[in-house]
Parts: sequence; structure tokens; C-alpha cells
Amino acid sequence: MRSPDPAVVPRAPFHPLLAKELWEVASGRALWTMLLILCPLVGYSFFQAAALYGEASSAARDSPVLASGLTPLDGVLVPTFGALYVAVTLLFPFVAIRTLGREKETGALRLLVQLPYRVPTLIAAKMTAVFGAWLAAVIPAASALAIWLMLGGHLYLPETLDLLLGHLLYGLLVGAIALFSASISESSATAAIVALAFTIGSWVLDFALAGQPGVLEWVSRLSLTQTLRGFEQGLLSAGLVLGIVAAICGFAALAAVWLHPGVPLRAKLVRSAICVAIAAAVVAMATQVGLSVDLTEDRHNSFPAADQRALADLREPLIITVHLAPEDPRYVDLRRNILVKLERVMPRVTIRLATMGQSVVGSTSEEAYGEIEYSYGGRSDKSRSTSHREILPLIYALAGRPVPTPIPGEEYPGYPLSANASPALAWFLGGLPLLIVVAWWFSRRPPQIAPQLIKDGGQP
Amino acid sequence: MTVASAILLDRTADRAPALMEVVGLSKRYGEQRALADISFAVNAGEVLGLIGPNGAGKTTLMEAVAGVLAADDGRILWRGTSLALPQRREFMFYLPDGLRPWEDQYAARVIEFFAAVYGRPEIFVAETIRSLGLAPVLRKRIAALSKGYGRRLMLALALLTPHPLLLMDEPFDGFDLRQTREIMNVLRDVASNGRALVLAIHQLNDAARVCDRFVLLAEGRVRGVGTLAQLRAQAGKPAAGLEEVFLALT
Repeated sequence: MRSPDPAVVPRAPFHPLLAKELWEVASGRALWTMLLILCPLVGYSFFQAAALYGEASSAARDSPVLASGLTPLDGVLVPTFGALYVAVTLLFPFVAIRTLGREKETGALRLLVQLPYRVPTLIAAKMTAVFGAWLAAVIPAASALAIWLMLGGHLYLPETLDLLLGHLLYGLLVGAIALFSASISESSATAAIVALAFTIGSWVLDFALAGQPGVLEWVSRLSLTQTLRGFEQGLLSAGLVLGIVAAICGFAALAAVWLHPGVPLRAKLVRSAICVAIAAAVVAMATQVGLSVDLTEDRHNSFPAADQRALADLREPLIITVHLAPEDPRYVDLRRNILVKLERVMPRVTIRLATMGQSVVGSTSEEAYGEIEYSYGGRSDKSRSTSHREILPLIYALAGRPVPTPIPGEEYPGYPLSANASPALAWFLGGLPLLIVVAWWFSRRPPQIAPQLIKDGGQP
Repeated sequence: MTVASAILLDRTADRAPALMEVVGLSKRYGEQRALADISFAVNAGEVLGLIGPNGAGKTTLMEAVAGVLAADDGRILWRGTSLALPQRREFMFYLPDGLRPWEDQYAARVIEFFAAVYGRPEIFVAETIRSLGLAPVLRKRIAALSKGYGRRLMLALALLTPHPLLLMDEPFDGFDLRQTREIMNVLRDVASNGRALVLAIHQLNDAARVCDRFVLLAEGRVRGVGTLAQLRAQAGKPAAGLEEVFLALT
């Protein structure tokens, strides 16, 4: 079959579409309301975090050991950005839904899909606008960081940027879910319910299933809140980033599939199945990517540098059999202090739970419960400790290697700071909201009209 | 004369392939048949009226032709060649009825958006604004526009597109008599410049004034296609007006 005549409509530039999407986000109340709510939320979180950090710092003033436990990432950054996380979970979907929901309700979508843009381009423009909205949402938290620096606080750039990246990916994921929800829903209200089912449903998954054994534990990992955990710990995990990006692209692709009202339902279902299959395959692949970088200044996701080097040289498989129930706090400690770090540094680590799928009682013999067995190079040993100071020498002994000499001067000093953050409340409860209201008013001003457009009074 | 033979006569009259042809278009909503085997053609530079009472299927037909509604069956031909769904937006533009898009935006901003998307020069935009008398409301939000000005704005957006075929659903709805005549003149000017217009109109007097040919629709079926003279012949009423012809054929 021959093609019809060349189209008279050229491919359109992207910038008018992007400008329209940004105006749409800016002209809605959802964005500005979210920003105004974020001010006290972030402000109070920052004030509380700084106050608690100050109290802990007072106690650590004369104790270098206590001081070394004071990291701004854990003490100030994560709690302050926690307020952003809550707002993005509960309020950001409304902002993102606006980029599409109103167009569906008013019928504007029927104009939009006729413009000379491919549907993925339309979704890309909307996702860019969602990114713009997220940038605006991060202003209160960013201003908290600036205030922290002004108070004399310390920020370590890599871990700060890592945390920001985590929140960005989380925001884009929530935005993509909201866009998908708007794409399959006839009204913004329905879209909001669908989007919140994802975000709040994640909390349910997180609280109800975390720590449960077997499949339930795997299901709990699908929670959206899991996406932030690694970043909050200062880890940059290639697998996690790849998985989140795949999920964002998957939801955006689904939004594109369901956007066009002229595509038959059967075609939409087939395309959706393909999108889900591809995204699931990439997410599954991402779970196999073990590459991660510890970006914390105190290296709290890693063993001391000398041990890191020595362990990286152990090439044979290390098999760890844990006689603990997954919900046992000792197992949580062991995982955080030993297992996760070993998995990151050693090339071949296998962890087996002897109590897999069973409850604590009766899962294993009373004597063996609590034991952790380490097998390396045909030799094995047992321990009940969850401290690296006991476990690492045990592993070196199994490998027939000497315990490495600590590298002097690598101790993390800690950054205690007792500062009065009360004046910051005036900024978060007064100055910043005022600036947001002014920006809101500015965004609502009518545009300048070129005189040529209204020549002759515009009368027919 | 049957509908099929009327379409055949209509098509063989000028021999060249029509600008756009609708062939065997059908659409059902569950058990309800909205469109049944609809066929007609549109020629370049003509104003074709889709005439029918409320519920006849005019809007469904336009949406299915423009590709914003999935049809169950049928084809759209452009100069004799089948147009796939993604290609339709390259050749035709459909303006739905009662649309009030991007309500929070200023009228000027939406006009600028369409002008930028289609690369329209400022002089063309100014002429479109002038022809539709939109200058007084450019700095108003779309939500604040009266029904008439809202309609004019939507017409402006359609006229800013460069497509050779425009489909408009009830373009005179919301206008008084004087305004309707003004808009008819604007649309006739557009057609005289070579663009084809397909207008869904339920007011037969308006349709008779502005359209060159008619497609009579009732209950999702085509009951007649042609000029008023051809429809009169089909109805066997040589001196009848469009109203009488419509009643006779539907």
C-alpha cells in the first residue's frame, strides 16, 4: 500500500509543549498548596533534628568516641528530608495528576493528541513538568541545608547529593505513578485514589510485611519506601538506581499506552502487557546488580579501609549459615553490621537462613539457635557475635590470612554542633511562605501581549 | 436513488480521488449501534455539513474519523490511500463541541501555544485574532470567557492549524444570529483558500446557509449525501428546503 501525500504538518518543536506543561503545573493550586504545607513540615523537622543533634553534641563534647557517632546525614539531613518524603508521598500525586487529569476532564486531551507530537513526547513533556514541580518542592529542604551551613553545620557533598538523588528518583517514581493513574482514570479524583493506593499501600506493605519470612519478605521489598532506604544510608547502588529508573520508565510507558482515547482497548492491553514484561525483566535484572558505592563520610556501610582491601582479596566462596529467625533483632543487627558489608566487598558471598520460612520456636534446635556458621575454603567456624571486630578475624583465620593492620588517621571525627535553630522557624513559618505566595501571585499575572497581535483593535 | 448510488454519483462527478473518504465506518457502544457502515467523501475547498438531530451520531462520527475514538470497523482514505490512526493528525484537525480546555490559562497564552506548535508567523496570528474579534479577551483566563468568546477562541485554535481538512462539531453553537453570520463568513473564507471543512450542525437553517454539500445522518446511518439539489432529487421534492428534504429522507 502506498503512503498518502507528505503530511502538511511538520514535526513541532518541543519547547512550546514543555512551556505549556510548566504553565499548567504553575497555574494550579495543587503545587502552591503543597509548597505552603511543606514549609512548616520541613521547618519543624529541621528544627527538631537540629535540637536533638545539639543535645547529643553537648553530651559528646568531651568524648571523641561519642562525637564520632554524630553524623549530619543521620542526625539532620535524613529527618529534614523525611518531611519532603511525606509530602511527596501524600501531596505530590495531586500535583502530578494535574498535568493530565484536568485535560481529560475538560476534553483538552482530544486537542492534545491531535498536535504534531508523538504520545511518548507528550508524556515526556509532562514528566519534565513533574520534575520541575519536584524541584520547587525541594526548595524548603534545600533552604534547611543552607541554614544548617549558616549555623556552622557540616555537610559532606557526596552523601548529600546521594540523598538528593534518592529523593529525586522517589519523586519521579511517584510522579510517573500519578501520571499513569491519571491516564487510566476518567477524573482527577479517581486518579488520586489510584495513585494514593500505590503510595499509601506501600506503607502498608512496609509495616505489615517487613521482617516476615519468605515470600512476604520479598513482597515487602516492592514497597516504594524501600527505594529511599539505601540513599538514606549513604549508599549509591547501581541495581537500585537501575530498578527505580526501570519502574519510572515502565509507569511512564503505561501512561503513554493509555493516553490516546482513539486506541482500541485490546491494543492498549497488549501494549501494557509488553511494557510490564519489559519493566519487570529490567527490575529483575537490576536485583542481580551488586555494584554499590558507600558515599558516607564515616563509611558506615563499609568495614575499615584495611579490612575492605583484605576482604576484597578473598576470592573463594564464603558461605554463611544463619540460625536466626528473620524477625529476630540479632539478625537485623547482623545484616546491617556484617552481612550487607560482606556482600558489598567480597565477590562471592552466599547467605543461608537455617530458619527459612519458619517461626523462631521449633525452627531449629535450641542449642544451635543464634549461631552463625562461616565456611570458607573448606573450613568452617561458628560465632554468635554481630560485631565485625569478632567476625572479621574469624574469617581471616578461615582464609589463613593475617588480620590487617589498621590504617592510622582514618577514624571519622564526627561533627558535633550545638546550635540554636529557633530563628530558622521564622524563615519556615514566615519568610518562605511569603515568598511562595508572592511567586504564586507573580505566576498568575496576565501575559504581555505583542502590540502587533491586537492591531486594528482585533475587531472582525 | 439509494444512498450508495448517491455516494457513487457524488464520487464519479469529479473523477479525481476525493480529499478524504470515509468507507464503511461502524461503531457500537455495547449493544447500542452508534454508527452503521458510514461512507461519504469530502473534496478540497468544500464545506460539507453533517446534518442530523441530537443523537444521530454526528459527534461519534467526527471523533472516529479524527481518530480520537476507536472505531469498530471502516477505513479513512486520504486521496485514495488508507490513513492509519497515528497519521490522521497530520492531515486533519478536529474541534470538539463545548470544549473549554486549559481553563486556568490566559487566552493569549493558548493562542501563542498553538501558533508556536505550528510555526505560525505573527502576522497570521494577528489576522486570525482580528477575524474572530478576540483582542478584547486575550488577557482573560479561559474559564472567565463568555460562551461566545470561548467558542471564538476554539475556532481560532482550529484556524491556526495548517491541516487541509478541519472537522468542527457545532461551530455556531453559542453565537447569536449576527455572530453566526460573521463566523460563517470566516469559515467561507477559509474554504475559499482551499481548506475543506466538515461541520456537524443540527440547525438546518445554519447548515443550508454555509454548506456546499450535506451528509444526512439519522440513527447512526447515512440517509443521503449530496448538494441540496441532489438531495431534493433523491427525496422527490424539487422545490423543498433542506428541512423538508431532511424530514423526507430520515
